[in-house]
Amino acid sequence: MNQRLAKPYGSLINRDQPIKFSFEGTAYQGFLGDSIASALAANNQWLLSRSFKYHRPRGTLTMAGQDANTMIQLQSNPNALADRELISENLRVMAQNYSGSLKRDRGALLGLFSRFLPVGFYYKAFFKPRGMWEKWAPLIRKKAGLGVINQQLEPDYYDKQYKFFDVVVVGAGPAGLQAALTAAVDGCEVLLVDENPTLGGSLNYARFDAEGLRGQQLRDQLLQQIDANNNITSMTDAVCNAWFADNWLPIIRGKRLYKVRAKQVILCTGALEQQAVFHNNDLPGVMMSSAAQRLIHLYGIRPGSAAVIVTGNNDGYANALDLLDAGVQVKAIVDLRDTPTQDAISKAIAARGVRILTGHAVFAAQKTNNHLSGVDIRPITSTGICGPQSESISCDLLCMAVGYTPTYQLVCQAGGQLSYDDSSAMFTLTNCPEAMQVAGSVNSHWDLDACLAEASRAAILATNALGFTETTIPEIIAKTGVSPNHPWPIFPHPSGKEFVDFDEDLTIADIINATRDGYEHIQLVKRYSTCGMGPSQGRHSALAAARLVAAATKRTVAQTGVTTARPPFAPEQLGHSAGRSFYPARRSNMHYRHVEAGAQMLQAGEWYRPAFYGSANDREACINNEVVNVRNNVGLVDVSTLGGIEVRGKDAGEFLNRFYTFAFLKQPVGRARYALLTNEAGVVIDDGVACRFSDNHYYVTATTGGVDRVYQSMLKWNAQWRLDIDIANVTSAYCGVNIAGPKARDVLIKLCLDIDLSAEAFPYMGVREGTVAGIPARVIRVGFVGELGYEIHVPQHYGEALWDALITAGQDQGIQPFGVEAQRVLRLEKGHIIIGQDTDAMSNPMEIQMGWAISRKKPFFVGGRTIAELQKKTPLRSLVGFVVDDLSAPIPLESHLVLQGEQMSGRVTSCNYSPTLGKPIGMAYVDPLSAQAGSKITIKSSGGVRVTAEVVALPFYDPNTLRQEL
Amino acid sequence: MTTLLRRSQLSRRHIALGAEFEQIGDTLLVSNYGSSEEIAQAKSLALIDLSTLPRTGFKGAGATTWATSQGVKIPERPNLALLQKDQSLVVRLSYHELLILSNIDPLSTQIERLDSMAVGPQTYTLPRADSHCWLAVTGSQAAEMFSKVCGVDLRPHKFANNAVAQTSVAKASAIVVRHDLGTTHCFYVLTDVSAAEFLWDCLIDAMLEYDGGPVGVASMRELAAEG
Repeated sequence: MNQRLAKPYGSLINRDQPIKFSFEGTAYQGFLGDSIASALAANNQWLLSRSFKYHRPRGTLTMAGQDANTMIQLQSNPNALADRELISENLRVMAQNYSGSLKRDRGALLGLFSRFLPVGFYYKAFFKPRGMWEKWAPLIRKKAGLGVINQQLEPDYYDKQYKFFDVVVVGAGPAGLQAALTAAVDGCEVLLVDENPTLGGSLNYARFDAEGLRGQQLRDQLLQQIDANNNITSMTDAVCNAWFADNWLPIIRGKRLYKVRAKQVILCTGALEQQAVFHNNDLPGVMMSSAAQRLIHLYGIRPGSAAVIVTGNNDGYANALDLLDAGVQVKAIVDLRDTPTQDAISKAIAARGVRILTGHAVFAAQKTNNHLSGVDIRPITSTGICGPQSESISCDLLCMAVGYTPTYQLVCQAGGQLSYDDSSAMFTLTNCPEAMQVAGSVNSHWDLDACLAEASRAAILATNALGFTETTIPEIIAKTGVSPNHPWPIFPHPSGKEFVDFDEDLTIADIINATRDGYEHIQLVKRYSTCGMGPSQGRHSALAAARLVAAATKRTVAQTGVTTARPPFAPEQLGHSAGRSFYPARRSNMHYRHVEAGAQMLQAGEWYRPAFYGSANDREACINNEVVNVRNNVGLVDVSTLGGIEVRGKDAGEFLNRFYTFAFLKQPVGRARYALLTNEAGVVIDDGVACRFSDNHYYVTATTGGVDRVYQSMLKWNAQWRLDIDIANVTSAYCGVNIAGPKARDVLIKLCLDIDLSAEAFPYMGVREGTVAGIPARVIRVGFVGELGYEIHVPQHYGEALWDALITAGQDQGIQPFGVEAQRVLRLEKGHIIIGQDTDAMSNPMEIQMGWAISRKKPFFVGGRTIAELQKKTPLRSLVGFVVDDLSAPIPLESHLVLQGEQMSGRVTSCNYSPTLGKPIGMAYVDPLSAQAGSKITIKSSGGVRVTAEVVALPFYDPNTLRQEL
Repeated sequence: MTTLLRRSQLSRRHIALGAEFEQIGDTLLVSNYGSSEEIAQAKSLALIDLSTLPRTGFKGAGATTWATSQGVKIPERPNLALLQKDQSLVVRLSYHELLILSNIDPLSTQIERLDSMAVGPQTYTLPRADSHCWLAVTGSQAAEMFSKVCGVDLRPHKFANNAVAQTSVAKASAIVVRHDLGTTHCFYVLTDVSAAEFLWDCLIDAMLEYDGGPVGVASMRELAAEG
């Protein structure tokens, strides 16, 4: 039977554009604008899914994307919401979480064993006896989760965008529309956000008067004004998914995450209708009254043919009028109240002869073929208790109108306080931040005019605060009318299955038993029972759970409270967080020369660096060749990534003297000095060399990964010291190379005509300024790799030219580029540490054998006090060099353990095969008692193999430093 | 000193896009990429590499005093730019730090003159021509495009001409200066030169949605001349 109603019903659909799609392999047709759920409903397909735990049949509950009942599987993603997702041509939709077929789910047998799966089952079952978890884990893993991820799918393009507004109004119902209009004064930029496809909220589907005219008239009037106002930007199909500090709002629309900054936020997020709790209240055909109205008005769907309405307010009567107008037979209104409020709507119902049962409840629902087939109506004898008199009414639709909870999530994320008045069953929101207003039903205003008035007031508060207006602020709008919330729409049944939380299949007994197990605090009940932890995050379970916990613990609901509403408000796809992120990548000016030379590039922090030159398959051979060439001829390595910091000014020497461990005041001009940096805790955090180019000018190098921290640290300290200096990070302004090897001078001398490169005129640790290949250069004689070597630093844009000139000039000397990997081997042979590799967050200078780099004559340096104290104590560990003479042993790797017996006594920090020594060499932290040369240490190498290594004095190579001082 | 031609860090990107270069002094600039639509593109949304144009910087407690003594007009407060008589643009980054950008021809004489001088007390030069790349984003959709990569509101009515933001663009630290070309919105973006290719690629990607793309400096000159 086709459930489609004639126009004007169906404001969201275009009947001129039919769309074909399939569900569970069966072909269906809907219209453009139909959601999957509405299109299926039009075809009388109400069963959409199976519940998570007991595989119970589930169908439409809210028609607003607020529940987990409509979660379905699409090819592109699981857990899509059928009442949010629109149909498209040839869309293939499947249900989730069933064994066999959706209609006949074998998993539903679990429901028969529900008494053996009590609340806290997970906690009780898996811990004992010991080892039981291993038995359970495969079963749990198989059953856990919903839907299937299509791993073959090419991910869509998701991205992010910033937006800026003076006022953001969240929710475009009557209050939101009015708030936006009032706020959109001259110069005030307003964003109006709504998660639905059209503006208007409840004006699009709810009934505000007996004639059913007011909602539409008001909507048309407000939308016309919105359209005409250029200060208002509307964003529909957009979810404001959280509130973060300073009104930072993540708004998701399609495949884009908008990062919105708002000076003022007005939350008109409305209220969420709540379910009544009775036996089988989760059957397809049982839905919120607002869901039925959405089906009728938005999609032109008749939600059933024979209806019963259970209500605790007059909205149920309005719902009944809508159903009658749509041709649905309304068999009865079951009013929980003894004395319903009389108004025009209730009188209209009476006039239409609908049967009204006051003081009655729906005690149970019955099903046939996975759908509602009737209800058991009973009188209420006391709170939550039904009498024995039973009347069965057959029906295929049961609408629930028993109350609302405010959509308080964003308010509470902003620090707002949600309170509940047990006597009136009303909520209040207080303690909102200054730049946030709330208006409408979220603030428990149920009268339409009051909602509009409060929205205007909220907007005036916002625009006044922003200085756009100086309007007199209206009086606080008093809450008028009767609360639509029935205080206790909960009716236990001897057979249970009265669902409080549909997501997790939790019943009244589950919540009460949680309190009996000792979890009386609502937050503990949540974690123990998982109530509110499913996809709908307690939107429909929080209030019922709080009421049950309150009763079970003999407290009020106000005392019990509800659980914390953390972001996100609605489930969001990983793509929204992961899409189009930025990871800055840095390249030196010589980058493409490395690529052209066949380098295998690696990323060191943000920088691309050549690891080695040659095929990845020949890695070891390439690295060894590069090492050998540096030792025998000359090599060239790009060191542009090294940090460079200019320290200039009359106090430059004094600054370095305080900042680094060494002494710098008397450092001669034209000399470089090793610079070791410790923090206040005496921990080594960086190193480099400080080159003095004039009395007031030092050029300090720092490690690639550490330079930003060193620079920031310099700024921080001098903010305290107030020395007369300037500090500038010029890392990127200079390209650098290190030309190293016994023939380095022979190459450089061809290109460097204005610097005397002789050992006497330009000794080790000397620095000079001149030109190399006609390029202005700073030349530093250093020996990181243990050979005669020069670091040449030139302005960045000359980098490639410098590289080309040196490679060309060095042909006769056998110059070859070498990469980071060979450099690591070379420095290891020379016994030089790498900060961050051979040090960690606890390394002090003494334990890494760098006590020589500490000046004891100066009064102060950063970390000096701590180091002085550490020097009085016995070190806990020592960094030593070791060799492995057994060439058949697996070479130890970084972080392999050093053992004493079976106890860990240290770890390897560096280890490589040394082409120069012909065996593996490395550094490791060891017990100080094992630090003497000649000591044997045991390393737990790959595969658990114990490798014996011998501690040796550092360096491994050229102990008298003759080669670097050539 | 060598007289090697100065190429942008992005020169390989430009060559791959079919750029025609023009030589000004010892520098190479992209004149155009061979499209007849580049002026229209620049009015809508375009990216231009100005990295080889002259620029310099001065910093220190005496920097503004010294620069003033050399005839430089200083913006009244930080994060403002001020056009000079020689068409160079002085960007005040803090009370004690100046960045000076050439005009696009480049006919500015002030930069070369200042760079050749001994600076005054408590004044320190900064190698801005080497430390930063210099890109320009032009067109009516520039601010909208920026909102995908930058957390500062750069819309024209919120970010005035000659306003300066020291922020991050695509997570790379950047100086953004609005300096319109006649009636066409123009934003200079200066970021660490080593991240030039990264930023270029990010901006091109962000522009695709608005049909933006690279153009040469010739288009910028046309727009400036249109007034």
